[in-house]
Amino acid sequence: MEGALIELAKLGGSIAAILFLFWLARRLDLGGDLRIRDEAHARALADEAICGFEPVDIILDKAGMGALLKDAQGRHMLIRRHGAAFVARLLDRHSESRLDQNFLTIGTSEKTFGKVTLNLGKDAQYWAAGLRHMAV
Amino acid sequence: MPELFNPVDYAVPVFILLIIIEMLWARKKAPEKYEPKDTLTSLAFGTGSTVAGALTGGLVFAMMLWLYEHHLFEIGWAWWAWIACFVLDDLAYYVFHRSAHRVRWLWASHVNHHSSQHYNLSTALRQTWTGFIAVNFIFRMPLALVGFHPAMIAFCGGINLIYQFWIHTEAVGRMPRWFEAVMNTPSHHRVHHATNPRYLDANYAGVFIVWDKMFGSFTPETDDEKIRYGIVKQLGTFNLLYSVFHEWIGIAKDVWSAPWRHKLGYIWRPPGWSHDGSRETSDSIKARWQARRENQATPAE
Repeated sequence: MEGALIELAKLGGSIAAILFLFWLARRLDLGGDLRIRDEAHARALADEAICGFEPVDIILDKAGMGALLKDAQGRHMLIRRHGAAFVARLLDRHSESRLDQNFLTIGTSEKTFGKVTLNLGKDAQYWAAGLRHMAV
Repeated sequence: MPELFNPVDYAVPVFILLIIIEMLWARKKAPEKYEPKDTLTSLAFGTGSTVAGALTGGLVFAMMLWLYEHHLFEIGWAWWAWIACFVLDDLAYYVFHRSAHRVRWLWASHVNHHSSQHYNLSTALRQTWTGFIAVNFIFRMPLALVGFHPAMIAFCGGINLIYQFWIHTEAVGRMPRWFEAVMNTPSHHRVHHATNPRYLDANYAGVFIVWDKMFGSFTPETDDEKIRYGIVKQLGTFNLLYSVFHEWIGIAKDVWSAPWRHKLGYIWRPPGWSHDGSRETSDSIKARWQARRENQATPAE
């Protein structure tokens, strides 16, 4: 009985420590405000995600929160911010997209990846059409 | 048998203190090295792992005691036995760790430790909840059969775990040359956590980097290329339960949908393997990177 209580106390202490460290990380403003700076940055992020992905067409979200890239084979890649890092996915015909004027909302076939809304300005329509006509 | 304590229990306050110091360093030098939600997820992994360990540890210890009853050599508790146990336990860790990157069943558990895109001391505590299911414990079992007492093995395993904590940082550059030659260091372990193709599947050591040098899996850190951390297909979510079980879910889906003769391949082959070759393993990524590098190095005629 005493052993179980000690284990429970340790668990409680661990949870308290976790919450304290989370609070401290926020309080210290860690993480920062990461954005995609320019096309070269988006190109580098794409190559990091898939070694050898060479985009021929790139569009950045106006606020730098994400980007869409297309390579010579017609593959589309979505890059979006994830905390203080970026994540990328190749889009396929199961990806959904919804156009609302300058805003293009894209969802991958992965539920946990979530949906992303990018402000692509007047090019939003062009990219929405590209996503609709993906072959794979 | 001497009365032994769990060294990890005593190390936890030091872990917390060092994380605080590293956070203060990050605030000054590079705030992006920490991400609060990522830290929360990593630390929750750590706590969950402790609970999972407490639930299954007794059974693992009992199995080791059974093996110890059939031990091959009388080793006892002499001072040299502790050193031998620590070194051999670290070798067992190397074999486990290398297997955990090459066999998907083991990777499904170990991937938890790699799925953060950050590399800081909180990443060290990002430990699996499913090590028992993955049968990670079998790698230490031979030590009991040889003749090391399970309590001694558990103690050495605890010290090994504590050692590995401090190497999960970008705040330390390189250690003195003699130290880098023998011991696992932040520099060596950054390589292990990297997703850059040149670094994939390297530096599996726990405490002594010499195992990697002996068995051909050592890759030194280069200053020419910025390291990117995480896994080849980054998670893209901080959802704790998904982060814990995503690879197990992936295995279940693949085994379910694969043709009968390929089902087992999705369990024992390397992560990323697929029967139709539609996915990428670390070997294929590395080969493509290497080919591209050679093409770039060859001058155009």
